[in-house]
Amino acid sequence: MAKSTIKLRTKEKGGKVQVKALITHPMDTGLQKNKKGEKIPAHYINEVVVEANGKMVLTAEWTGSVSKNPFLSFNYAGAKGDKVKLTWKDNQDKTDSIEKEVGKK
Amino acid sequence: MKRRSFLKSTMVAGASIAVGAGVLSPTIALADKHGNDLSKAKSLDEVMKIIGATGAEASDKIKIKAPEIAENGAVVPVTITSEIEGTTEIISITAANPTPYSAKYTFGEGAIASVKSRFKMGKTTDVVAVVKAGDKYYMAKANVKVTKGGCGG
Repeated sequence: MAKSTIKLRTKEKGGKVQVKALITHPMDTGLQKNKKGEKIPAHYINEVVVEANGKMVLTAEWTGSVSKNPFLSFNYAGAKGDKVKLTWKDNQDKTDSIEKEVGKK
Repeated sequence: MKRRSFLKSTMVAGASIAVGAGVLSPTIALADKHGNDLSKAKSLDEVMKIIGATGAEASDKIKIKAPEIAENGAVVPVTITSEIEGTTEIISITAANPTPYSAKYTFGEGAIASVKSRFKMGKTTDVVAVVKAGDKYYMAKANVKVTKGGCGG
Protein backbone atom coordinates (compact mmCIF):
# COMPACT_ATOMS: atom_id res chain seq x y z
CA MET A 1 0.00 0.00 0.00
CA ALA A 2 1.28 3.36 -0.94
CA LYS A 3 2.04 5.65 1.92
CA SER A 4 -0.92 7.83 2.75
CA THR A 5 -0.67 11.57 2.40
CA ILE A 6 -2.62 11.92 5.60
CA LYS A 7 -1.54 11.44 9.16
CA LEU A 8 -4.56 11.22 11.37
CA ARG A 9 -4.59 11.10 15.16
CA THR A 10 -7.64 10.81 17.30
CA LYS A 11 -7.94 10.95 21.06
CA GLU A 12 -10.98 10.59 23.26
CA LYS A 13 -11.24 12.52 26.50
CA GLY A 14 -14.31 13.31 28.54
CA GLY A 15 -16.80 12.72 25.78
CA LYS A 16 -14.83 14.73 23.28
CA VAL A 17 -12.77 13.38 20.45
CA GLN A 18 -9.82 15.38 19.36
CA VAL A 19 -8.98 15.01 15.71
CA LYS A 20 -5.60 16.06 14.45
CA ALA A 21 -4.60 15.71 10.84
CA LEU A 22 -1.48 16.50 8.91
CA ILE A 23 -1.68 16.31 5.15
CA THR A 24 1.30 16.24 2.86
CA HIS A 25 0.56 18.66 0.06
CA PRO A 26 2.48 21.47 -1.68
CA MET A 27 -0.39 24.00 -1.50
CA ASP A 28 1.02 26.05 -4.38
CA THR A 29 -0.73 29.35 -4.79
CA GLY A 30 -0.15 29.68 -8.50
CA LEU A 31 1.78 32.90 -8.10
CA GLN A 32 5.07 31.63 -6.88
CA LYS A 33 7.89 31.20 -9.36
CA ASN A 34 10.51 28.52 -9.57
CA LYS A 35 14.21 29.20 -10.00
CA LYS A 36 13.84 29.55 -13.76
CA GLY A 37 11.21 32.21 -13.30
CA GLU A 38 8.39 30.01 -14.49
CA LYS A 39 5.19 30.12 -12.58
CA ILE A 40 4.36 27.09 -10.50
CA PRO A 41 0.78 26.21 -11.32
CA ALA A 42 -1.79 26.50 -8.57
CA HIS A 43 -2.12 23.25 -6.71
CA TYR A 44 -3.87 23.31 -3.41
CA ILE A 45 -6.49 21.44 -1.44
CA ASN A 46 -9.85 23.11 -1.69
CA GLU A 47 -11.95 20.74 0.31
CA VAL A 48 -11.45 18.60 3.38
CA VAL A 49 -14.31 16.58 4.80
CA VAL A 50 -14.17 14.85 8.17
CA GLU A 51 -16.83 12.30 8.96
CA ALA A 52 -17.49 10.39 12.16
CA ASN A 53 -19.47 7.19 11.72
CA GLY A 54 -20.54 8.38 8.29
CA LYS A 55 -21.81 11.74 9.50
CA MET A 56 -20.11 14.96 8.52
CA VAL A 57 -18.58 16.75 11.47
CA LEU A 58 -16.39 19.28 9.72
CA THR A 59 -15.98 20.53 6.19
CA ALA A 60 -13.11 22.84 5.44
CA GLU A 61 -12.84 24.85 2.27
CA TRP A 62 -9.33 26.01 1.77
CA THR A 63 -7.51 28.31 -0.59
CA GLY A 64 -3.85 28.86 -1.35
CA SER A 65 -3.63 30.97 1.79
CA VAL A 66 -3.35 27.81 3.84
CA SER A 67 0.18 26.69 4.58
CA LYS A 68 2.05 23.95 2.84
CA ASN A 69 1.53 20.53 4.41
CA PRO A 70 -1.61 21.74 6.11
CA PHE A 71 -2.50 20.91 9.66
CA LEU A 72 -6.00 20.74 11.03
CA SER A 73 -7.17 20.18 14.55
CA PHE A 74 -10.61 20.27 16.12
CA ASN A 75 -12.85 18.47 18.62
CA TYR A 76 -16.25 16.94 18.40
CA ALA A 77 -18.56 15.20 20.85
CA GLY A 78 -17.88 11.54 20.30
CA ALA A 79 -16.73 8.32 21.86
CA LYS A 80 -14.15 5.59 21.58
CA GLY A 81 -14.75 3.30 18.66
CA ASP A 82 -16.05 6.06 16.39
CA LYS A 83 -14.85 5.67 12.87
CA VAL A 84 -13.31 8.93 11.77
CA LYS A 85 -12.80 9.41 8.08
CA LEU A 86 -10.95 12.28 6.47
CA THR A 87 -11.05 12.98 2.76
CA TRP A 88 -9.35 15.78 0.86
CA LYS A 89 -9.68 16.95 -2.69
CA ASP A 90 -7.49 19.44 -4.50
CA ASN A 91 -7.95 21.75 -7.46
CA GLN A 92 -6.30 19.22 -9.76
CA ASP A 93 -8.91 16.67 -8.77
CA LYS A 94 -6.51 14.54 -6.80
CA THR A 95 -7.94 13.03 -3.71
CA ASP A 96 -7.03 10.86 -0.76
CA SER A 97 -8.72 9.60 2.33
CA ILE A 98 -8.02 7.74 5.52
CA GLU A 99 -10.21 6.10 8.10
CA LYS A 100 -9.38 5.39 11.72
CA GLU A 101 -11.10 4.14 14.77
CA VAL A 102 -10.93 6.41 17.80
CA GLY A 103 -8.80 4.93 20.55
CA LYS A 104 -6.86 2.65 18.25
CA LYS A 105 -3.41 3.30 16.97
CA MET B 1 17.54 24.34 5.12
CA LYS B 2 14.29 24.42 3.24
CA ARG B 3 13.50 27.79 4.56
CA ARG B 4 16.85 29.15 3.54
CA SER B 5 16.41 28.19 -0.07
CA PHE B 6 12.89 29.48 0.10
CA LEU B 7 14.08 32.88 1.18
CA LYS B 8 16.77 32.88 -1.43
CA SER B 9 14.35 32.15 -4.20
CA THR B 10 12.04 34.89 -3.09
CA MET B 11 14.89 37.34 -3.14
CA VAL B 12 15.81 36.25 -6.63
CA ALA B 13 12.26 36.86 -7.64
CA GLY B 14 12.81 40.39 -6.45
CA ALA B 15 9.99 40.34 -4.00
CA SER B 16 10.14 43.25 -1.65
CA ILE B 17 8.53 41.26 1.08
CA ALA B 18 10.72 38.41 2.10
CA VAL B 19 8.20 35.71 2.72
CA GLY B 20 5.86 37.32 0.33
CA ALA B 21 6.19 35.43 -2.91
CA GLY B 22 5.11 32.19 -1.41
CA VAL B 23 2.14 33.71 0.22
CA LEU B 24 0.30 35.10 -2.73
CA SER B 25 -3.02 33.48 -2.95
CA PRO B 26 -4.41 32.12 -6.16
CA THR B 27 -6.13 34.50 -8.47
CA ILE B 28 -6.34 31.92 -11.20
CA ALA B 29 -7.99 28.57 -11.40
CA LEU B 30 -9.87 28.74 -8.18
CA ALA B 31 -13.04 26.90 -8.88
CA ASP B 32 -14.52 26.03 -5.57
CA LYS B 33 -18.13 26.13 -4.58
CA HIS B 34 -18.21 29.89 -4.51
CA GLY B 35 -17.17 30.23 -8.10
CA ASN B 36 -14.58 32.82 -8.83
CA ASP B 37 -15.97 35.69 -6.89
CA LEU B 38 -14.13 34.97 -3.71
CA SER B 39 -10.82 34.31 -5.36
CA LYS B 40 -11.10 37.65 -7.14
CA ALA B 41 -11.95 39.55 -4.04
CA LYS B 42 -8.92 41.63 -3.23
CA SER B 43 -9.88 43.23 -0.01
CA LEU B 44 -11.53 42.39 3.23
CA ASP B 45 -14.56 44.51 2.35
CA GLU B 46 -15.11 42.66 -0.90
CA VAL B 47 -14.94 39.29 0.79
CA MET B 48 -17.37 40.42 3.44
CA LYS B 49 -19.73 41.60 0.76
CA ILE B 50 -19.63 38.33 -1.15
CA ILE B 51 -20.24 36.14 1.83
CA GLY B 52 -22.97 38.52 2.87
CA ALA B 53 -21.41 39.40 6.18
CA THR B 54 -21.14 43.16 5.78
CA GLY B 55 -21.93 44.81 9.04
CA ALA B 56 -21.19 41.70 11.03
CA GLU B 57 -21.40 42.39 14.71
CA ALA B 58 -18.10 42.43 16.58
CA SER B 59 -18.15 39.83 19.28
CA ASP B 60 -15.81 39.03 22.14
CA LYS B 61 -17.11 35.50 22.16
CA ILE B 62 -14.90 34.72 19.22
CA LYS B 63 -11.37 33.97 20.26
CA ILE B 64 -8.53 34.09 17.82
CA LYS B 65 -5.33 32.57 19.01
CA ALA B 66 -2.53 33.70 16.79
CA PRO B 67 1.04 34.77 17.48
CA GLU B 68 1.56 38.50 17.89
CA ILE B 69 4.77 38.19 15.99
CA ALA B 70 5.24 35.50 13.37
CA GLU B 71 8.79 35.00 12.30
CA ASN B 72 7.89 32.78 9.43
CA GLY B 73 4.94 34.08 7.48
CA ALA B 74 4.67 30.83 5.55
CA VAL B 75 3.46 28.94 8.58
CA VAL B 76 1.36 30.86 11.07
CA PRO B 77 -0.69 28.76 13.45
CA VAL B 78 -4.14 30.21 14.04
CA THR B 79 -6.83 28.86 16.33
CA ILE B 80 -10.30 30.25 16.02
CA THR B 81 -12.84 29.43 18.68
CA SER B 82 -16.42 30.56 18.77
CA GLU B 83 -18.40 30.47 21.97
CA ILE B 84 -21.50 31.75 20.26
CA GLU B 85 -24.31 29.28 20.49
CA GLY B 86 -25.37 27.67 17.27
CA THR B 87 -22.20 28.40 15.38
CA THR B 88 -22.29 26.65 12.03
CA GLU B 89 -19.52 28.31 10.09
CA ILE B 90 -16.18 29.91 10.74
CA ILE B 91 -14.56 31.85 7.95
CA SER B 92 -11.00 32.94 8.25
CA ILE B 93 -9.82 35.96 6.29
CA THR B 94 -6.23 37.11 6.08
CA ALA B 95 -6.79 40.77 5.29
CA ALA B 96 -3.47 41.67 3.69
CA ASN B 97 -3.07 38.66 1.44
CA PRO B 98 -3.73 39.07 -2.29
CA THR B 99 -6.66 36.73 -1.88
CA PRO B 100 -7.81 37.44 1.63
CA TYR B 101 -10.40 34.68 1.75
CA SER B 102 -8.43 31.85 3.35
CA ALA B 103 -10.62 29.13 4.71
CA LYS B 104 -14.14 28.29 5.59
CA TYR B 105 -15.10 25.65 8.12
CA THR B 106 -18.56 24.23 8.27
CA PHE B 107 -19.46 22.34 11.40
CA GLY B 108 -21.65 19.31 11.52
CA GLU B 109 -23.57 17.96 14.43
CA GLY B 110 -21.55 17.47 17.58
CA ALA B 111 -18.55 19.39 16.36
CA ILE B 112 -17.09 21.92 18.73
CA ALA B 113 -16.71 25.28 17.05
CA SER B 114 -12.98 25.57 17.29
CA VAL B 115 -10.41 24.86 14.66
CA LYS B 116 -6.70 25.14 14.46
CA SER B 117 -4.78 25.26 11.24
CA ARG B 118 -1.87 27.07 9.71
CA PHE B 119 -1.95 29.94 7.26
CA LYS B 120 0.42 31.81 5.04
CA MET B 121 0.74 35.52 5.55
CA GLY B 122 2.46 37.86 3.14
CA LYS B 123 2.99 40.68 5.55
CA THR B 124 1.75 42.08 8.81
CA THR B 125 -1.97 41.63 8.66
CA ASP B 126 -5.23 41.45 10.46
CA VAL B 127 -6.72 38.00 10.77
CA VAL B 128 -10.46 38.32 10.67
CA ALA B 129 -12.71 35.55 11.84
CA VAL B 130 -16.29 35.65 10.68
CA VAL B 131 -18.67 33.38 12.52
CA LYS B 132 -22.08 32.44 11.30
CA ALA B 133 -24.60 31.49 13.95
CA GLY B 134 -28.16 31.10 12.85
CA ASP B 135 -28.70 33.80 10.26
CA LYS B 136 -26.35 36.26 11.82
CA TYR B 137 -22.72 36.98 11.30
CA TYR B 138 -20.26 37.94 13.98
CA MET B 139 -16.64 38.88 13.64
CA ALA B 140 -13.41 39.32 15.52
CA LYS B 141 -9.98 40.51 14.57
CA ALA B 142 -6.41 39.85 15.59
CA ASN B 143 -3.25 41.40 14.31
CA VAL B 144 -0.22 39.34 13.38
CA LYS B 145 3.11 40.99 12.77
CA VAL B 146 5.16 39.16 10.21
CA THR B 147 8.87 39.82 10.44
CA LYS B 148 11.11 39.42 7.46
CA GLY B 149 14.06 37.53 8.77
CA GLY B 150 14.38 35.13 11.59
CA CYS B 151 15.55 37.76 13.99
CA GLY B 152 12.33 38.03 15.89
CA GLY B 153 12.32 41.84 15.47
